[in-house]
Formats: sequence, C-alpha cells, structure tokens
Amino acid sequence: MKRWRRFGKLVVGLLRELADENAYARHLKAHGREPSGEEWRRFSDQRLRRKFARARCC
Amino acid sequence: MKVLRHIFWLAVAVGAAVCLGGVALYRGEHINSIWLVVAAACTYATAYRFYGKWLATRVAVLDDRRATPAERLRNGHDYEPTNQWILFGHHFAAIAGPGPLVGPVLAAQFGYLPGTLWIVIGAVLGGAVQDFIVLFASMRRDGKSLGRMAREEIGRLSGAAALVTVLLIMVIMLAVMALVVVNALRGSPWGTFTIAATMPIAIFMGLYLRYWRPGKVLECSAIGFLLVVAAILAGRAVAGSATLAPWFTLGGMALALGIVVYGFFASALPVWLLLAPRDYLSTFVKLGVVTMLGVGVVLVRPELQLPALSRFTDGTGPIFAGKIFPFCFITIACGAVSGFHSLIASGTTPKMIAKESHARPVGYGSMLMESFVALMAMIAASALQPGVYFAVNSPAGVVGTAPEAAVATISGWGFPVSVADMTALARDVGERSLFSRTGGAPSLALGMAHIFARTGGGRALLGFWYHFAIMFEALFILTIIDAGTRVGRFLLQDMLGAVWKPLGRTSWMPGVILTSGLIVSAWGYFLVQGVRDPLGGINSLWPLFGIANQLLAAIALCLATTILLKTHGPKYVWITSLPLVWLVTVTFTAGGQKLFSRVPAIGFWAQADKLSAGLRSLPVADAAVTRTLIFNARLDAVLCGVLLALVAVILLDSLRAWTGILRRTRPITLSETPFTASRLGAGEI
Repeated sequence: MKRWRRFGKLVVGLLRELADENAYARHLKAHGREPSGEEWRRFSDQRLRRKFARARCC
Repeated sequence: MKVLRHIFWLAVAVGAAVCLGGVALYRGEHINSIWLVVAAACTYATAYRFYGKWLATRVAVLDDRRATPAERLRNGHDYEPTNQWILFGHHFAAIAGPGPLVGPVLAAQFGYLPGTLWIVIGAVLGGAVQDFIVLFASMRRDGKSLGRMAREEIGRLSGAAALVTVLLIMVIMLAVMALVVVNALRGSPWGTFTIAATMPIAIFMGLYLRYWRPGKVLECSAIGFLLVVAAILAGRAVAGSATLAPWFTLGGMALALGIVVYGFFASALPVWLLLAPRDYLSTFVKLGVVTMLGVGVVLVRPELQLPALSRFTDGTGPIFAGKIFPFCFITIACGAVSGFHSLIASGTTPKMIAKESHARPVGYGSMLMESFVALMAMIAASALQPGVYFAVNSPAGVVGTAPEAAVATISGWGFPVSVADMTALARDVGERSLFSRTGGAPSLALGMAHIFARTGGGRALLGFWYHFAIMFEALFILTIIDAGTRVGRFLLQDMLGAVWKPLGRTSWMPGVILTSGLIVSAWGYFLVQGVRDPLGGINSLWPLFGIANQLLAAIALCLATTILLKTHGPKYVWITSLPLVWLVTVTFTAGGQKLFSRVPAIGFWAQADKLSAGLRSLPVADAAVTRTLIFNARLDAVLCGVLLALVAVILLDSLRAWTGILRRTRPITLSETPFTASRLGAGEI
C-alpha cells in the first residue's frame, strides 16, 4: 500500500512538474508572494518565453 | 543474496540472448510480438545494469559529492534540483517525438527484423550513450548548449557549423512532420474536423488559464482533453453529414496551406494563447497514449503478420527507395539514435539534475524507454496484414490511383489484398478510402486502433480508436511545428540582428512578421514540394530528414569523443567513436546515394535528369509542373550536399583537435566547472 502511495505521489509530482504547477509554487515561495491572476501571468510569461525558445525533439 | 543477484542478472542476460536469437533466426509462419517485447526488455535491463553503470562509474566518474548546476545556480526557474524519477519523466516527455513512432512504421517495409534489431542494438550502444555523455558533459558545464560546448571543446568553426546545421535540420524536420499530418488528414473529414477543433479548444484553454483559473494547468488540461474526446465523437457525425462533410474533406494542397498559415500565426501570436495550452495537452496525451500502447501490446500480444525480411531489402520498396543498408538505419532515426536528443540533453535537463548519479537513469534510461516506444510502433505496424500495410503506405504514383490496380500490384508482390478487404476496413474506421495514405501515420493509427479495440470496445470502437490515434499523432506533430517555427524564428532573428539590429528584437512586430514569414516559407516550400511529388513526398523528404537527424547525432558524438579523449586519453574513445564511425558511414553512404545514384527513385540528380529527358514531349501545362519537380529534385540535392559538407567540416575540425590532443601539440583544456562540494540533503529532493 505504502509503495502504491509513493508511486501515486511520484505520478502526481511528474504531472505537476510537466504542468509547470511545481515551478509556479517555487516561484511564489522564492518571491514570498500569494497566488493571483497577475502573479501567474507574470510567472508564465517569463517561463513560456524561455520554454518556447528551445528546439523541440522530433 | 549476492549469488542470487548474480543468478538473476545471468538469467536476464541469457533471456535477452535467447529471445533476440529466436527473433533473428525464426522463419516460421508468424511470430508473437511478445518475443520482441521480452528480447528488448531483457536487453535494456542488462545494458542499463552493466554498460550504463560502467559508463557512469568508470567513464563519466559521476560523483554525488559534487554539487550540480541545479544546486549551485538554483534560481527556482531553470536551475532547480528535481527528483530523479520526475526528471526522468520530464526528459522522456521532451525527447519523445513523432520520429520514433513514424520511422519504424516506414522501415517495416523491409520486414520487422532489421528495424527491430537496429532499434534495440542502436539504442543500447549508440543513442543512449550519446544522450548520457552529452547530458553528463552539459551537467559539468553549468548546463551549456551543444553548440557552445562544441565551440569551446572542439573549435569556433564547429560551433558555427553546428548552429547552421541545426537551422537547416529544423526546416527539413518541420516540412516532413507537416507532410505526415497532411497525408493523414487528406480526404478525411472526421480527422480534419477533430484537428481543426483542437485550435479553438487550445484558445479556450489559453483564456481559461490566463484569466479564469490562473495556474490551474492540470485542471485546464483535463477539460481540454474531455473537449478533444468530444470533438472525436462529433467528428463521426460531421463525416456522416452531407452538409458538413464537404467543408472538412480537403485535398493535400489545401491542408498544406492551412498548416502553413497555422504555423505563421502560432509563431507570431502570444505564446499563452495557442502554443502553451496545446503543448500542455499534447504532453499529457502523449504520455498517456504511449503508456496505453505499451500496456495494450503486452495484453494483446498480437502476432506479427509482416515477414521478418521482405523482398524490398533489395532497394525496390514502394514506400521509399533504397537498400536495407543504409536506408533502414536512416529511416528508423530517433528510435535508435537521435541527434535532436543532444539538444534536450544540453538544454533543460542538465539544469534540473539534483545529483550526478541521476544522469544514468535520466540520460541512458530515457533513451531506452524511447527505443521501447519505437518497438511498440514497429509491432503495431507489423501486426497489420502485409497487403493492408502496403496498400495504405504505397503512393499512388507506384501502385496506381484505381483500387483495382493497387490491389493487383500489391498482390503481385506476394502480399494478397482485395478491394473488398480495404473497403470494409475503411468503413470500420470511418474513412472513405485507406489506399495510398502515405506517411506512416495512418498505418500506425490502424495498428494502434486494432490493439486498443482488442483491449476494449471491440470492432465497434475501431473508428473511435483510429481517430483517437490520428488526433494523438497530429496534435503531437502540430505542437512540434508551432514551437519549431518559433524557435526557427528566434535563430533567424539572432542571425539577422547582426546585420540590422531591429531585426534581432523579438518584440518588434515588423521583424517578428518578417522572420516568421521567412521560416514558414522555408519549411512550407518543402511541404508543398512533398504534396506535389507524384511519389508521395515521403520518398524524398523522410530520407533527407533521417540523414539530417543522424548528422546532428554525429556532431554530438564528435563532441563526446573530444571530451572523452581530453579526460581519459585514447582509453575510452571507442565508446563514442564506434557509434560515430557507424553513423558517419551510414549517413554519408545514404547522402552519397541520394546525390549520385543513377536510379531515379533514389538519386535526386538522376530524378531531375529523367524528368528533364521527358520534358520536350509534354504538353505546356504538364511541362510547367515537371519543371518545378526538376527544380525541387535539384534543390533537395543541394540541401543534402550542404548538410554533408557542414558535417564534414565538423568532422575534419574534430580530427584536427583529436590529432592535436594525441600529439600533445594542443593544450588539453576541459571547460568543466571546478568542483564544489554538494550540500543538498536527500530530503530536499
């Protein structure tokens, strides 16, 4: 049971990482800010600019 | 306990040898796909446990006491120590593209055996080694890119050549991927409607994330996925409607123009509106479908219907011309060795590695996983009846446009198929016709649909699963096209900015429009050329893409060899130089044949000469079309020549560097960052 729980946590962790939700949480923590629409837009603009400047794999 | 472990690994190694030997030597009626799965799984496990570990401990000498860039430069954005399994998934999601799905399907024209062996052996000894060494090198250099490392470790010339090569490769890649989508959607109202529906769905998701529920990406992606499934279901009704179906029944040229226009807007519009939501959705769908396919293959264990070796190993194949050597290896591309992986392994991933030892599962392990995906694609294609496989994948220019002519030609090759079989199959999957649906995507979708339908829903759901698979492939590819166009635009703006500064500013609208237009026109030209090609376009563009991708891998292996030579002397150079020699031999042979072969189906010049010879006897309208085809064949030849020349420059530059290192006439300087002790505790990752 414990193993399954750990596996589940890992899957959720991966999905949150792929969804940039973990990165957003880190961003809020690093800057000591509360989640808000404006904060998300500021964070995602920065992140997406970097993300979409990199080549994609075929 | 130790003895038991030895016995276990011995059993796995013997299992790998027995299954691989069995697959290679068996020539009976049909073989079950589980043999391929077990052979691959045992080979990967043995390679990861022994070769991968040896590379990590003896060659790279990974040291967990050393702080990684993620720890030293931690900024919460790019540099962030990440759990190794989460990073494994992240890296795998980044390297898994449509290449390992489409390449094996096309290479199956030689039979399932050559492709399978290359997918497994090539990944273990070439692809995974390249990915691991480049990841390790970048990790020891603060996450520097491939181009920058090439400039610092080999020389300035190699750095510049690598940059131009990447831009050219991107143009070819975007064109060939777009062609795969065009061929999958041509004359398919159901498929076209589903893909068209993903555009407003993506825009809705973009607005949802931006204004209504900021930051809720998983929630938004789940809603997006449900809407896409609803679009697939609605697609059946659209295809059956006398009013709506004609709107979504498009020819190749209309689809190509649609994708070009889409690429332009996706490159110029704000990222959050279209690109980002599509990208999130595509990543989740990709991981989900790949997992479903893996589970489906293991549950269904389909029998392989294609022969181990087909008659087309002699180079007369209808899907693409050329002998098994070198074209099987060029066609498989990303499933065994992919140059593009080196861009990812020197991009985001090295900045997220928490401990050096994680480079083995992330770099070496992810490539093995990608190879497994390629094997699944090979199984899905090989499980189709050979007659069906060739009827779907052979261009009309080879088998004829009339169904009767096509089945007669294909049956004449020894792969019986009837018009009734093809009509029934098309009806089952909700398509009007499945003849000459070249490009690999439709036949892969057929194979996947059969596997999914056997695990749930049966024949009644075949149409849904077929279009689900088409949606998955197209969504996946369009994400690469839009993101790739944008990256190409940035590269071009970088170069043009040196000529006139405003052109380099990514926020200056005229510059954005001009460079987006230039990039879109470049790949759009090759796409239109592929659509017009009477042989279906894949025959000329896929090998060009395969050559380009493997040449990029050769550049990465040149860099890896230089680093190994500087670190250990000649002792371990064989690890990267043997795959390098193989890739150079394969790509230069293939490139040479594409340039100089006198067989018109293979050689670009020969094709141009053949068309020129018949030009005078043609009516004026046909002559104009033929002149364009002649120009295109010559353009392909020039492009192929330029790519080979660029890589020859890097090879010669590397040889010069290696000779200097061995003769000690060149200072052996490694640009690794100095050792800093790690303070990262296990609880922090």
